[in-house]
Amino acid sequence: MTRTHKFGITVLGQTFFLITYAVPFIWIVLTSLKKSTDVFDSSKSVVFTPTLEAYQRVADIHLLQALGQSALIASLSTALVLLVAVPAAYALARSSAWWSVAMLAVLIVFQMIPQTSTVIPLFKVLGNLNLLDSLAGVVIADASLMTPFAIILLRPFFRSVPEAVEEASSLDGAGSFRSFWSVVLPIARNGIATTGTVVFIIVWGEFLYSVNFFMTPGKYPLSAMLAQQVSSYGVNWSGLMALAVVTAIPIAILYAVSYRLLKEGLTVGAVK
Amino acid sequence: MKKNRFAFAIPALVLLSLFAVFPAAQLVRMSLSEVSLQTLNGNWVFVGLENFRNGISDGSIPWGLRLTLIYTLIVTVLGVVGGFIAAYLLRGKGRYASIVLAIMVFIWALPPVVNGSVWKFLLAEDGLLNLISRSTIGQTIPFLFSHDFALYSVAVVNAWVIIPFNALVFRAAILGIDDQIFEAAILDGASKIQEIRFIVIPSVKPASLVLTILTIVNAFRSYDFIYVMTQGGPGTATQTLPYASYSQAFVQYNFGAGSATAVVAVLLVVVLAIIYARNVFKEERS
Repeated sequence: MTRTHKFGITVLGQTFFLITYAVPFIWIVLTSLKKSTDVFDSSKSVVFTPTLEAYQRVADIHLLQALGQSALIASLSTALVLLVAVPAAYALARSSAWWSVAMLAVLIVFQMIPQTSTVIPLFKVLGNLNLLDSLAGVVIADASLMTPFAIILLRPFFRSVPEAVEEASSLDGAGSFRSFWSVVLPIARNGIATTGTVVFIIVWGEFLYSVNFFMTPGKYPLSAMLAQQVSSYGVNWSGLMALAVVTAIPIAILYAVSYRLLKEGLTVGAVK
Repeated sequence: MKKNRFAFAIPALVLLSLFAVFPAAQLVRMSLSEVSLQTLNGNWVFVGLENFRNGISDGSIPWGLRLTLIYTLIVTVLGVVGGFIAAYLLRGKGRYASIVLAIMVFIWALPPVVNGSVWKFLLAEDGLLNLISRSTIGQTIPFLFSHDFALYSVAVVNAWVIIPFNALVFRAAILGIDDQIFEAAILDGASKIQEIRFIVIPSVKPASLVLTILTIVNAFRSYDFIYVMTQGGPGTATQTLPYASYSQAFVQYNFGAGSATAVVAVLLVVVLAIIYARNVFKEERS
C-alpha cells in the first residue's frame, strides 16, 4: 500500500492528532514551571523563566504523604483484585454451566453500574463496618469496583489456554489447584500482567471513593487531592498543574514500561 | 472429562456479595425510603415511590435523563468516528505513526482527574483556547461558564479521552485484514474512498459493534469530567443522571433522592448490559 500521492493527507491527519494530544500536555508542563503571576501573561506564554516554585508550594501540602497513600491504595487494591479475579476468571473460562453464564451476566451489569450509584450505599455499608476514614475501607471499595472488570478482561486469556495442557498435567497426578497454579497461570501471565497494570492505573486515578470515604483530607491520595483542589474556588493554576504533573508521572513510568503489553492485551480483552 | 471449577470463583463471589450485591440491594431499599444524613444510620421510613415521584415532579430525573442522552450521543459519535479515523491514519508501522499512537494512548491512560483538570485550565477564561480564540475571532468563549456550552465542552473532552482507546481496538481490526484484499483492490483501480467503504468498514464492523456499546456505557456512566470541570453547573447545565445522584446524596445529603436517581441510571445501564452480554455470548458460540 504505497501510493505516494496519498502520503500527504495521511501525514497531515497524523499531525492533526499529534497536535491535539501533545500540545495540551506540553502546555500543562510549561504552566507548572511558571510563576503564578506569569500564568496568564500572554507575553510569557512560551518564553519565560522556568521555576520550580509551584512544585515547592505543592510539596508543602503533604505531597509525599499523598503520594505514599496513592501507592498503597493502588498496590493493595490491585493485589486484592488479582487474588480473587484470577481464579474466578479461570473458573468462568472453563465452565459453560448455568452458574457460569449467570455470574458473567451479573459481572457485566456490575462493571457498567455508574460509580456514583455505588458510592451512596457503600458509604452506609462501610460506615456500619467501621471502615470509613480507613485505608482498608477504600481498598475494599476500590477492589470490589474493579473485580468485575478484571474478571471480564482476564477470562479470554484463560479461554485461550488449551484444556489439553491441563489434562496432561492431571494425568501426571496433579490436583486441580496444582495444575492451575503451575500449568495454567504461567501460560496466562501476559493477561494477568495486562489486567494488573490496567487495574493499577485506574485505581491510581480513582477519587470519588477516596473523597467520600476518607473523612480527613490529610489521608487523601494524590487523585483525591487534585479533585478537591480543582473544584474549589480561586484556583492557583500553576500549583494545580504541578499537582497534575506529579499525579501523572508514576503513570507515565508504568506506561513506558508496559506499553507493548497494553497495546496487545487491551485489544484482546476489549473485542473478545 | 470436565471438572467443576466452581470453587475457584468463591473468593470473588464472597467479595462481590458483600461489597457489590449487598450495597446494590441497600441502594434500592434507600430509594424507597426517606433517608437524610441524620437518619442514615438509624431506621429508614418506607415511603414507596415518593422519591421517584419527587424526582420527576421537581424535574431532576427527566432533566438529568435528557442531559445524559445528549452527553452520551456526543461522546459516542465523536468517540467512535474519531477512533476509526485515527486508527485508519495510524495503522502503518512507520515510526511517526507509532509515536503519535503511543502519545494518544498515554493520554487515555492518564487519570480522568488529571485530564479534567488540564482541560478546565485550557478552557478557562484566560486559558489556551481562549488565547487562541481572542487572537483569531476577537472573542472570549465561555466554554464552561455558559449554560449553552458547558455540557458540550465536557462531552467533547470526554470523547477526546476515549478516542485513543477506540483507535487502538479499530487499528487491531484493520491490521487483521488480509493484505491481499488491499492489493486486489489496488489492481482493480479502487480509489481510497472505495477502499475504506467496501473493505475497511465492513471488516471492522464486528469490532465496532462491541466498541460502540462500550463507548455508550462509558459515556453514560461518566461523572468524573463533570465533577472536575463543572461540578454539575453552571446552574443545572451539567447535572446528568450519574452526577445528579451523587450531588443529591453527598452535597444536599438527601440520600433517598440520590438513590432514586441512581436507581434510574442503573436500570438504563442494565438494558445496555443485556445487549452487550448477548453480543458476547453470541460471538463465543460461533
